[in-house]
Amino acid sequence: MLAIEKKRLNELLRRMNRDFQVYVPYLENGTGKFAPYQEERELYLEMNTLLPPKDIFFPQTEKMYKFRAAGNELEIEEIAEQKEKQVVFGIRSCDAFSIDCLDKVFLSRGYEDAFYKNKRENTLLVGLACTAVGDTCFCQSMGLNPQEAVGVDLQVLDLGAEWGFKARTAAGQELLAKYGDVLHETGASPLPAEEFKLKVEVEGVPEKLSRMFDHPVWEEVSRKCLGCALCTYLCPTCHCFDVSGKVKGEEGYRFRCWDSCMFSEYTRMAGGHNPRPTKKERVRNRFMHKLSYFVERYGQLLCTGCGRCLAKCPVNMDITAVIRKIKEAEVE
Amino acid sequence: MKEITQKMRDTARELLSSGQVALVLGWEKGYPWYKSAPTFIDKVEDVERLVFDEFCHNNLSKYLLDLAAVDGKVALFVKGCDSRGVNRLIQDNQVKREQLYIIGIPCPGLKDPDDAAGKNWGDEINGAVKCQDCRFPNPVVYDLLLGEKVPAVERGRETRELIERLEKMKPDERYEFWAGQFNRCIRCYACRNICPACNCRECVFDRAVPEWLGKANNLVENQFMQLTRAIHVAGRCIECGECERACPVNIPLMALNRKIINDIEELFGEEPAGLDPEKKTPLGRFELDDPEKFM
Amino acid sequence: MSVGLNAEKQGTGQKAWEPKILVFACNWCTYAGADLAGLSRLQYPPNIRILRVPCSGRVNPQFVIRAFQKGLDGVLVAGCHPGDCHYSTGNYFTRRRYLLTKRLLEYMGIDPQRFQVRWISGSEGPKFQQVVTQLVEEIKAMGPNRKMRDPE
Repeated sequence: MLAIEKKRLNELLRRMNRDFQVYVPYLENGTGKFAPYQEERELYLEMNTLLPPKDIFFPQTEKMYKFRAAGNELEIEEIAEQKEKQVVFGIRSCDAFSIDCLDKVFLSRGYEDAFYKNKRENTLLVGLACTAVGDTCFCQSMGLNPQEAVGVDLQVLDLGAEWGFKARTAAGQELLAKYGDVLHETGASPLPAEEFKLKVEVEGVPEKLSRMFDHPVWEEVSRKCLGCALCTYLCPTCHCFDVSGKVKGEEGYRFRCWDSCMFSEYTRMAGGHNPRPTKKERVRNRFMHKLSYFVERYGQLLCTGCGRCLAKCPVNMDITAVIRKIKEAEVE
Repeated sequence: MKEITQKMRDTARELLSSGQVALVLGWEKGYPWYKSAPTFIDKVEDVERLVFDEFCHNNLSKYLLDLAAVDGKVALFVKGCDSRGVNRLIQDNQVKREQLYIIGIPCPGLKDPDDAAGKNWGDEINGAVKCQDCRFPNPVVYDLLLGEKVPAVERGRETRELIERLEKMKPDERYEFWAGQFNRCIRCYACRNICPACNCRECVFDRAVPEWLGKANNLVENQFMQLTRAIHVAGRCIECGECERACPVNIPLMALNRKIINDIEELFGEEPAGLDPEKKTPLGRFELDDPEKFM
Repeated sequence: MSVGLNAEKQGTGQKAWEPKILVFACNWCTYAGADLAGLSRLQYPPNIRILRVPCSGRVNPQFVIRAFQKGLDGVLVAGCHPGDCHYSTGNYFTRRRYLLTKRLLEYMGIDPQRFQVRWISGSEGPKFQQVVTQLVEEIKAMGPNRKMRDPE
């Protein structure tokens, strides 16, 4: 396997950053997040980032087009497509799988989202195998391998003193060839991942949920929810957005920005009617979407077990506990 | 703490079995071990879920806003700060004192769950920043007090020192500091939704017409949101620090709220919020001889 | 706010930068004071836009933040002297609210000159002239406000 000494990783990233826009995980004011590579900054590779990398493909706020309307004249200016090639370095298995979920949403079933597509197509993913397992991590229970990410071009493995690289696609192979001169061959073997502290059995849950829309469990589960969007904004797979605009005089632009099904106004109609009037319906929808609707539509769960919602929810809403409750629930 | 937990369960059992209350708001153990979560007990057999430990952060008074559906009295457990939240809501006419059975718990100061991440039970854990200079560890209103009152102790000055440091800066430096903080805001509104002073039926931020707050996430909108929020809770913030704890990206919101509290005390000599439910809030009243040296 | 905020773009074109200042004037005192200044032919710089409000107590701190957001370089809130409020006590609330808001804005890094509060009665035309002139001069010396302002 090709490898690089851990302390020399910066050499590789520096080289890579000349050819690509490289995103790497940093710790900023105590918050882990992916950001453009800067030579002098210290990487954060100990644990996964708190903010998921989804905003690289699907920014929280993204301009769609500009316009100018004067009298009967209308000019529309498209926002220039991003052509720059980029690399996301250090993406964990849970987040790599979340990108796979987003691909399904934005690129499959007959409609391709141009904004997402153009960033996605120009991006190579470099996965980073987990050895340390966080208190709230449960990707294994969601059927993922913490050391082998889905859909990455290159998988980085922790060999102790070195980082090992395994190409998973032709593009990954090319990357390795391109930077072969800073890599060396090694016989070291990867460190295994720690034992997971959090486990949950999800088998049968999607099917069962399809019969639980009116179940009293939602009343119980949602009671402590505060209705903030923390879980959805930290979630690597949540992808709802709203389209809004800004007009100043004759000019303006349209943009889209993240929205959350936990907000009351998310489903509020123009006339004031709200089909999801209380937190019961909203919380139900979130879990249904993650664990049932998405499975029905795309054949995979929309929860990757990254554990961010559990780690940060101010009222400790625990999706694994919800899954257990669903399993225990009696259904006719 | 074990003792308090036992007393909590006994009290809840008695209140529920005698029919004095229909619902008990308390805390239960969450996951991981350094999280305790709000819980709602309406059956005697569930009282064993109740716990009190150093991670019972949630201010349960916030849930009093959901009481409309409850038929009967509600019992809730309160720490010092939480009890001020109850008074606040009574003061705002959001809940009636007669509907509540308040069980006070003198608070020993809580621990920081973020510091506990990755550690084990029994390890040394930092105290929560929000509890560092708590002035009211003992509940200010209660029907029953579990345990002995504790003295207020200063365990640290992190927030106060940050305020002092900021006050000494030049305007541009201060602006840079706060811009750096608000740039990180992801606009999840956890700070608003967890706050017992935020109890408007419809929040200005949720209204589309007129659109006071744009939906885009950028510095200016984030500043607008955070400043509006700070001014809105001015004179009503009960210093529970829940906004800051709930913030996923560590914005020092209490350095904003505490600064306003300091100013209110210094300018108007008003007492801290949530002590007296009868009195009007500092910005809802005035004195003829209030200072006006700035005019 | 249709006060011509977009009429001339700041910092562009050949024209030298001129500050834009928003004055929230209470209907009963300051607005009458401004009127008197006009009637008395007292000159003051044309950099202010007056927004008439029923009472200085009507001015929500949000309005002030919004003004900076939309590109104003300074904001003045002005109303009746304490004791003279048309609604008896409105301006007493204003006083408390803006003592606090002013400190908060300064704590956020807004320069103290950019946000001011004054009592100007209906008979104080000269005071209106003097307050506005001084405000414009101070803000001219400071240059355009870039803080809390929408990106162009």
